[in-house]
Amino acid sequence: MQPPHRRGANRRRYRTAVLGASAGGGIPDGAGRPLRVVTGIVLDASPHLLVLGAPGGGETRVAMSDATAVWHGGRTGLAALRPGRPAIVRLKATGDAGGGGYGADRVWLGISRVTGTILACGRDSVDVDMGPHRGRTRVAIPPNALERVLVRHPRLEPGYLIDVICVGSPDGPRAVRPGTSQPGYRADDLAAPEVTAPVPEVLRGTATWFGGADERGTDVPDPADGAAYPAVDPEGDAGGCADAPSGCVAFPYLSIGSEIVVHNECGGRAAAVPVVECGCAAARFCDRCADCDATPRGRIVELTPAAFAGLGGDLESGCFNAAVRPVGTAGRAVSW
Amino acid sequence: MVTVFQNTQVLLLAAVLLIACLAKLTVREEVPGAPDHVHGVPVPAGLARLTTAHGGRRMTVGVGVGEGMLGLALLLTSHLSVRLATTVVFAAATWVVSELRVRRPDAGCGCFGGLSGKKVGRRSVLRALLFTAAAVGSLGAPLAGFDVLLDVQAQVGLVLVVELGLFAALSPELSTLLRRRGLLGGGGLPHGPGRPATPCERRRSPIQETYATLYDSQAWTEHENLIASAVPLDVWREGCWRFVVFPARLDERDVEIVFAVSTADRDRTVRSSVLTAETALSSTS
Repeated sequence: MQPPHRRGANRRRYRTAVLGASAGGGIPDGAGRPLRVVTGIVLDASPHLLVLGAPGGGETRVAMSDATAVWHGGRTGLAALRPGRPAIVRLKATGDAGGGGYGADRVWLGISRVTGTILACGRDSVDVDMGPHRGRTRVAIPPNALERVLVRHPRLEPGYLIDVICVGSPDGPRAVRPGTSQPGYRADDLAAPEVTAPVPEVLRGTATWFGGADERGTDVPDPADGAAYPAVDPEGDAGGCADAPSGCVAFPYLSIGSEIVVHNECGGRAAAVPVVECGCAAARFCDRCADCDATPRGRIVELTPAAFAGLGGDLESGCFNAAVRPVGTAGRAVSW
Repeated sequence: MVTVFQNTQVLLLAAVLLIACLAKLTVREEVPGAPDHVHGVPVPAGLARLTTAHGGRRMTVGVGVGEGMLGLALLLTSHLSVRLATTVVFAAATWVVSELRVRRPDAGCGCFGGLSGKKVGRRSVLRALLFTAAAVGSLGAPLAGFDVLLDVQAQVGLVLVVELGLFAALSPELSTLLRRRGLLGGGGLPHGPGRPATPCERRRSPIQETYATLYDSQAWTEHENLIASAVPLDVWREGCWRFVVFPARLDERDVEIVFAVSTADRDRTVRSSVLTAETALSSTS
C-alpha cells in the first residue's frame, strides 16, 4: 500500500484530470507560514547545541540558547536532554549568522497523548481504547497528576472519554495533565447534527494532536505533517472506519491522502496537510477549546505533533482554535 | 344549544383523533431520533431517547392505532366510558406537551407524527388544553358521532367550522404539511415529498450505488471497451464525488481512466478522464 503522501499526490492528479484544476489553494489571506519543526532521538546535548538522530538515519544539529524552553513532563532544564529521549523541536529564526540561522525555540521530550474511551479504571491507571487505528493502552496517572486530571475529567469511569497529555516512561505513558476538558456524555452517546445540516465552507472548532512518542517513550515521533480527519469515507480504499461516529460537526467525507488547510486562528498560521488517518477518536469529542477564544463545539482535526507545533500550537496545552478548509476541489475552489 | 355544542365536540374530537392516527401512520419523522442543539449545547442522544415521547416508530404506530380506535368509538357509540377515555387521553396529552415544552425545547411532540417535528410551542399547549376542555364538554353529549352526522344541523356545522378553523390556527403542523406538498416556499423539498435532502458532501453513499450509477452512465459506455481490468486501481471519495480509477489500454498504450461519480441523493452525474502516466488526455462528463 502506498504511503498517504504518495497516494495523496496521485489522487490529486486524478481529481484534477477529471474535475479540472482548482482556482485557489485554500490558504487564507494574511495567514502566516508554519514554523519549522524537527524530530529525532537525542544523541547529545549541550547548552549551545542539541544533536538529534533523524528518523531515516543521520544527524540534525540544532542551536540552543538560554531562551529555549524544554518540556519533559513539565517545564524543566537542559539536564532533561538525555541521550535516547525522543524529542520534538520547534525552531525559530535566530537572526544571527546573516539572518538565515535557526535555533531551538521549544523542545518537547517524550511527549505523547492518550485520547479515547475509558475501558477500565485501576488504582493509579486507566485502560483506554484509542480507536481501531491506535489500539488500546494503559496510562498511568500518578497521584500528583490525578488531581489535575480529575479537575477536567470528573467522570473517570468506563464508558466516558479521556484525553491526557503524557510523558513516556519504561512502564508506558504516564499522564501529567489533562489535554482538554472531558465531555459530559458517554462516548457512545454523541449528538450528531441533523442529516440535512449543510456542510459549512469552513469548518470551525478544535484542533488537537495525536501520537507522539511511543508507549515506552523511545521511538522517534512522526516527523511528517499530517492530520487525522474525523469523517474519512469507509468505502473502497478511502481508509475510514465502518463504525466511526459521525461527529458533532457537519463534516464532508474525505479520504486518506485528501488535503485540507488547517488555520490556527489563535496564532494565525496556516498550512495544507494531508489526511493520514481516520480520526475516529476525535469524532467522539464534542468539546471546545478556549486557547484564545471559545470555539464552536467539535474536534475537527487531529494533527501530527510536527504539524501541530509547526502551526504554533503548544503540545502540552493540547489544542488550538482552528478553521479547516478544503484545498480547492476543482470547479468549486473554496467548497468541499 | 348546549346539546348542539356538546354533540359538535364529539365530532371535533373524533376528527382530531382520526387525523392524528392517519398522520402518525403515514408521515414519518424527517430525521428519526436526530438530536439537536439547545442554546449551542448538543443534546446527548441518550437523553433525547429518554425524554422524547415519540422515540420509536413502533411506539408511534401503537399510539396512532389507539387514537384511531378511540376516534372510531366516538363516532359509533355514545357510551360514557369512551368519552371519559377521550378526556383522560387529552388531559394526559396536555401534560406531556407542557413537559416537553419545558424539558425538550429541541424536540417536537409527535402529536401528528412526522408533521410535529418542530419544537413544542405555546400554541401546541393551548391546543391540547382546548381539546381537553372539548372532551370535558363532550361528556354529556347524548349522540354518537355518526348519529350527529346523519342529521347535521346548521348550528352544528357552524360551530364545527369555527372550531376546525381554530384547530388549524393553533397547529404548526399545517405549515409543515403545506411545505411538504410544495405549496409553501422556503424549505420546499426539491427532492420529493417527505424526503429531506442530505448534502451530497456528507451523504453516506454505498459503493454498490456508485458502481450502479457508473455502469448506467454514458461515460462508462464510452470507455468500457478500453478498460483492461474490472478491478479498480483506486476508489476514494472527496466531498460530493467518489473517484474510481481503472487500468485501460488506448492505442497500444497503458492508460488510466478516472471516473468521478456524484454522491448526491438523486440526479447523480458521472465524469471521466483518460490519463497517461502523468498527463490527462481528455475529459468528458
